[in-house]
Amino acid sequence: MIPEQFFILATLLFSIGLVGVVSRRNLFIVYLSIELMLSSVNLLLVTFSRLDQSMNGTVMALLLIAIIAAEAAIFLAVIIQLYRSKRSLDSDKFSQLTQNKGQL
Amino acid sequence: MFALIEQFYIILPMTIVLIGAFTLMILSHNKSFELKHFNLVAVLFLTIALAIVMIQFGNIPKGYLFEDIIGKVFIVDDFALLFDIMSITGVILTLLINTDYFHSRSYFNGEYFALLLFSLFGMILLAHAHELVTAFIGLEIASLSIYALVGYHKNNHVSSEAMMKYLVLGSMTGAFFILGTALIYGVVGSTTLNDIATYTNGHNNEESILIIVGATLIMVTILFKIGAVPFHGWVIDVYEGSPFPITMFMASTFKIAIFAIALRLYLIDFVSLHGQWNFILQTITILTLLGGSWLAITQSSIKRMLAGSSIVHGGYMLIAITSVGAGSQIAVPAIMFYLIAYFLSAVGAFGILSYISASGIKQLTYEDFKGFSERRPYLAIFMSIFMLSLAGFPSTIGFLGKFYIFTAGVESEQFLLVGLGITTAFISIYYYFKLIAMMYFYPKNEPQTPIRYTFSSALIVLMAILIIWGGIGSSLIPFIPSADALIDIAKGAINSIG
Repeated sequence: MIPEQFFILATLLFSIGLVGVVSRRNLFIVYLSIELMLSSVNLLLVTFSRLDQSMNGTVMALLLIAIIAAEAAIFLAVIIQLYRSKRSLDSDKFSQLTQNKGQL
Repeated sequence: MFALIEQFYIILPMTIVLIGAFTLMILSHNKSFELKHFNLVAVLFLTIALAIVMIQFGNIPKGYLFEDIIGKVFIVDDFALLFDIMSITGVILTLLINTDYFHSRSYFNGEYFALLLFSLFGMILLAHAHELVTAFIGLEIASLSIYALVGYHKNNHVSSEAMMKYLVLGSMTGAFFILGTALIYGVVGSTTLNDIATYTNGHNNEESILIIVGATLIMVTILFKIGAVPFHGWVIDVYEGSPFPITMFMASTFKIAIFAIALRLYLIDFVSLHGQWNFILQTITILTLLGGSWLAITQSSIKRMLAGSSIVHGGYMLIAITSVGAGSQIAVPAIMFYLIAYFLSAVGAFGILSYISASGIKQLTYEDFKGFSERRPYLAIFMSIFMLSLAGFPSTIGFLGKFYIFTAGVESEQFLLVGLGITTAFISIYYYFKLIAMMYFYPKNEPQTPIRYTFSSALIVLMAILIIWGGIGSSLIPFIPSADALIDIAKGAINSIG
């Protein structure tokens, strides 16, 4: 096993996720990008755990998977809610709060 | 090491909050239960928990809970217990002061109270966390409940939109937190704060570069949650889109919990990194003070103005955090005092707004307050007290809070930040006193239906009395502990962290 490859993969996945959150408009893709970011961190943890010859990092990754699942539940709920209200998931259409108000 | 029975006694308040949350969830299916019963049950559980924490505070030596099973993960010290007291009190006051608001809106039900208690459970876990993954779990339990609460009015598009904005940005910064944790784990091989502190103290900066990066990523999450300026984009929209009780909860109680973990990390964990961070923190403080003031000035709705001003108040606390790094002794007690001061003033101000809007569904703007003193003379006086305290006028607790913060800044020779802080305090007079001027110096433009005096108004009076009592200081009223005593309590709690 070459750890560098895993580090590069984790970095790539995290960056793809971050770019996806920033540049995509569809809320579902934004959600998937955030999941990608969280999962890439899990990969990083497991790699470190393997390098360290201890199970600490793997246990952390398991705990984080539980949290990611909880977040997924809320995300899917709000996506359904938003789709019902506007029949669309384009994040530009949800701009009621920002209209004609002073912004920095 | 604690005895086993003692450990169960220490964890009791947390357990009670959790049991209360589950009880409310189960009860919420019972149709014969009304909203006021749910409120009563929630407050009952919280009061028992608060009483136990009060007894524990100062009487428990520092130690780790269940150390033989889970290691040094869950710390018990006066610092954490003080934050427990503050958070539990915050939730109790949020529940009680919004009683009228709950009854005026049809979308509140039993689960709402359960979610608030779950969120409180996460905050208590956050205050006691002595390990980064535990801190993240606590933070996520608290945040996930708040996401759901922000979008609680599910037939209101604005509410769902606010929830979406908070959820996307909040989860994204959550990813930064665990990325930071993973990097630190990779270097140190452990995520307990003691091990990290040992590592950073034993190695120079060249060797701990990954720790600096990881700690900075964690700091980004914390700064996002308190709404510091480069990460402030969500604050105003989310505060406006959520129901009043939740706005109050986010602005006051959640901020307290975030500062608990921020201070713990900054004081024990990353002490040797203060040099690296000071420049970043100074820049962020300057941006937060100026940006928050600009945002607050430009709003016409009172709720949005208070949201903007909460960013500025976060900026004042960042001045003190910067001073901690620059070697000030009084800075940490000053932050805790300021949290209490801001908490009292913000809960009072939001409490009046939610009390007024309980009888209508309109968004409250400055215009709506024209001639308010004629319609509601007493409420107008209390509103003025809260505004004066938020602006930091002498003889209110807000003044003392700012006084301690600026003392800490001067002590550590951060003259630029202190000067800027005083300037923004003067700027803040504009948007706070505008409301007072609207209430007193303009004729009323339309008659409004009178508002009933209820339980909420009694609590508003209590908050106003607390603000004045805190502002008068020590020597005037004998036998009653005063603001100076609060600072002493905070100092004692900080010493326990060591």
